[in-house]
Amino acid sequence: MPAPTSALLPRLHALVPRGRVFSSPAQLAGYASDALGYKSYTPDAVVLPADAEELAAFMQGARSLGVPVILRGAGTSLSGGPVAAQGGVVVHTSSLKAIRSISPDGFWCEVECGVPLNTLDAALKPHGLFYPPDPSSGPVCTLGGNVATNAGGAHCFRYGVTSNYVLGVEALLLDGSLHRFGGPAGGRGHWREDWKRFMIGSEGTLAAFTRFWLRLLPLPEKVWTFRATYPDLRSIEAAIHGLVAHSAYPAAIEMLDPRAVTIVENSPMAVGLPRDSFLLLTEIDGPAPLVDARVEPIAEILRSTGSNDVAFSDQDHLRQKLWKARKAAGGLLGQISPDFLVQDAVIPKRALADILQFLYDEADAASIPAVNLFHAGDGNLHPNFLFDSRKPGDLEKVELISARLMQRVLDAGGTLSGEHGIGNDKAAYMPLVFGPDSLRLQWAVPAAFNPAHQLNPLKVLTARRFTP
Amino acid sequence: MPTDTPSAASAPNPAAAFSNCTHCGFCLAACPTYQLSGDENNSPRGRLRLWSEEAAGRIPEDPWTDFYTAECIGCLACESACPANVPYGRLFEHTRQAHVEAGRFSPHPLLRLAAAAVRHPRLLNLALLPARILRWTGLPLHRLLFRGSPPVLQSTASYARALMERHRPTGPRVALLTGCLMEGLFREINAATVRVLIENNVQVFIPESQGCCGAFHEHTGLGNTASLHEANRRAFQPLDVDAVLSNSAGCGYALARSLAPDTPARDVLSFLGDLRPIQRARPSSNARLYVDLPCHLVHGQKEPGIPASVLDATGYQWELAPNARDCCGSGGVYNIQEPENARTILASKSAFLNTAQGDPVILGTSNHVCMMQWHSAATSGLVHRPYLVRHILQLLDPLSPSDT
Ligand SMILES: Cc1cc2nc3c(=O)[nH]c(=O)nc-3n(C[C@H](O)[C@H](O)[C@H](O)COP(=O)(O)OP(=O)(O)OC[C@H]3O[C@@H](n4cnc5c(N)ncnc54)[C@H](O)[C@@H]3O)c2cc1C
Ligand code: SF4
Ligand code: SF4
Repeated sequence: MPAPTSALLPRLHALVPRGRVFSSPAQLAGYASDALGYKSYTPDAVVLPADAEELAAFMQGARSLGVPVILRGAGTSLSGGPVAAQGGVVVHTSSLKAIRSISPDGFWCEVECGVPLNTLDAALKPHGLFYPPDPSSGPVCTLGGNVATNAGGAHCFRYGVTSNYVLGVEALLLDGSLHRFGGPAGGRGHWREDWKRFMIGSEGTLAAFTRFWLRLLPLPEKVWTFRATYPDLRSIEAAIHGLVAHSAYPAAIEMLDPRAVTIVENSPMAVGLPRDSFLLLTEIDGPAPLVDARVEPIAEILRSTGSNDVAFSDQDHLRQKLWKARKAAGGLLGQISPDFLVQDAVIPKRALADILQFLYDEADAASIPAVNLFHAGDGNLHPNFLFDSRKPGDLEKVELISARLMQRVLDAGGTLSGEHGIGNDKAAYMPLVFGPDSLRLQWAVPAAFNPAHQLNPLKVLTARRFTP
Repeated sequence: MPTDTPSAASAPNPAAAFSNCTHCGFCLAACPTYQLSGDENNSPRGRLRLWSEEAAGRIPEDPWTDFYTAECIGCLACESACPANVPYGRLFEHTRQAHVEAGRFSPHPLLRLAAAAVRHPRLLNLALLPARILRWTGLPLHRLLFRGSPPVLQSTASYARALMERHRPTGPRVALLTGCLMEGLFREINAATVRVLIENNVQVFIPESQGCCGAFHEHTGLGNTASLHEANRRAFQPLDVDAVLSNSAGCGYALARSLAPDTPARDVLSFLGDLRPIQRARPSSNARLYVDLPCHLVHGQKEPGIPASVLDATGYQWELAPNARDCCGSGGVYNIQEPENARTILASKSAFLNTAQGDPVILGTSNHVCMMQWHSAATSGLVHRPYLVRHILQLLDPLSPSDT
């Protein structure tokens, strides 16, 4: 039996005497959703532990609370991750924001889970170091959220996603045990197998992470950014393929479709692009002599595949300008539509033109605007469906298109999520992608770490319900 | 409290405007009260949600909504961070006014008094005469008030007329907003502004019929500003000028909104930037100038900063203060309404002054309320070494001795 809120509160106060406990409607409102603002799940309570020790104390006592426990970083998840889908207590980690150490010689750092990504990067810069995974939510998202979703970003095409940079995870289980999977030296730590891999991308369903040891790289000496526009899908697809196959191996390959370009050009952030064009952004980085020598070959790929509008620069302020349309586009969606739902499918790059056409046809038939801006190099599509959640039937239409799109992605050999995680938003699609044998094993993992599914229930698998 | 024209409570409910917030959370990183509290509700995204949930009837009126609304500094850093152009400032002002009218927010008595007083500029100037005199003496009046040498009797308008007569500049024609506290208390900055403009061949006109810009009432939620805006439109619009200038970032922000779209209003420093102002010489000065950017300049007026040509013209070796675009905690009236929070924010912003290079160290800004806040870092024990707080215009002033 879940404890009624009146019984819950004194126990929460006892667990986090130095931290904060929220329970009034106005204190819970902000914690009812993530970046999918139109879906709300009001928690029974919110706790903000004062520091890492208090989070540990909380986790040790939380099992006996008899309610779900949901970890939350910055709440920028796009999949319904840090929300109380089955009620319970949201644990906000905003006080755990210490960068505990940076080892410039060892190329690693130790950070608490609530450190915002860009705060870490700012601290690394003076050491000539950087942490490569770069989700666009960098100014605000936390490393805890990044590890829990195995976040990606524009430059993950060459550098790889979060899992490539996690050396160690400190994890607290609801049985009160504390584990260190890996550590500053990486590898398996005190474990026979590399169990930190279970933790990365676990979406708060296995454990609460308190801190991480992360791998760092030296900042690239030089970066060149290229921007090109294309008249049609076929030619931009050829350009992407040419870039992927070239030995220069770009760090990032990003794409905007004409609908996204038009939104930018209709806004105050217009940069003067042809409205009906596809936009490609790519970047190469490395030692100056090496990358300088590759500038012409890359520009030539962009031109020879059909762009007569190729701009490139190695100057920071000009590079910012080249990126401007890509960076502006995401936010502009909010100016033209009350709500949007973003999908996160990954497809074999060869299927790009085919899937995009399918998507446009479906969305047009349902009169739902669909806009695409995405990590093209990784084949990681982000179709944004623009709708109004207050309009009856709109959300249902979007969900229907999503389901049909997903089936098409699977038929093409793709999968459900590249980087945003499954959360509760995509949980219903899991059986489309995974067969019974795969699902049985995916059940077994949370069942081992978190047997009653008290941590973040109703996420990833729809039937993962907390039963006290 | 005079109440002119429609009240916030009866104005159309702006809940529709909340819906273009996409919940992306970018504003959290920019918000000083979120950084301080780590509480989602104490962030722009959180406050917008509280207001829209209450407007939609999904949550009841709750003292916590009042609390979180009161915590907002109004620094508008969230507007600069927002990719969806959510007009946070407008929504905040509307909500604050509605909260004051409904008794859910109670402005500090000092602010109530001041809000009533600034509606009567002549009386205010008279009432503040002793304060102007006392500023010469350096006797402590209030923790936020700093020493200075304001003209005690002569108004800036009459001073400008005399100077115009003497120097007969022939360049662009401007009008100057002299402001309430600026004219009543910090008049020496207005005088310096007039000198700098005229020295740079700018013709300066100061209509005596001008009044308060309304910023004070907008910050405190005290009363409607329509009549104040109207009075200033009547004062400034008939003048045949190229721009109406303000030397206080907060007043300039309010003024620009009240005169738009017919009359262009600009910050005096950005105006001077276009003119490449006359350079002050500081031979062998060891002074170092640290420039802080007022929120209402960069986030409100959306200026990129203070032009480098203007800062170069001060003759000092200058650099931006650390986190120059972040709020110092003054927030118009925040340091009076929420002194504890304001002090915590200032503590982290001002820490660098303790070890900053330069002899003397000068903190330069372009808003008198920020000047008061920076000054209080010394009086409240946050900074332990001597430093000067100056308006950038004072550093361009042909009459100011070097290194002050
Ligand atoms: C505008 C925008 C752009 C985005 N761009 C990208 C992008 O380019 N790439 C990308 O990958 N994502 C992107 N995202 C999605 C989102 O930013 C990422 O998923 C991010 O990793 C979430 O971090 P967070 O701190 O906000 O976590 P939250 O949203 O708070 O939580 C996400 C998940 O992590 C879990 N979690 C959080 N902290 C802990 C912890 N300490 N221990 C255990 N579990 C925890 C939560 O339970 C939840 O399941 C974007 C989002 C927005 C709004
Ligand atoms: S105005 Fe400033 S304090 Fe208020 S919500 Fe915006 S950023 Fe935060
Ligand atoms: S940055 Fe703008 S759109 Fe994003 S959460 Fe804040 S107010 Fe909403």
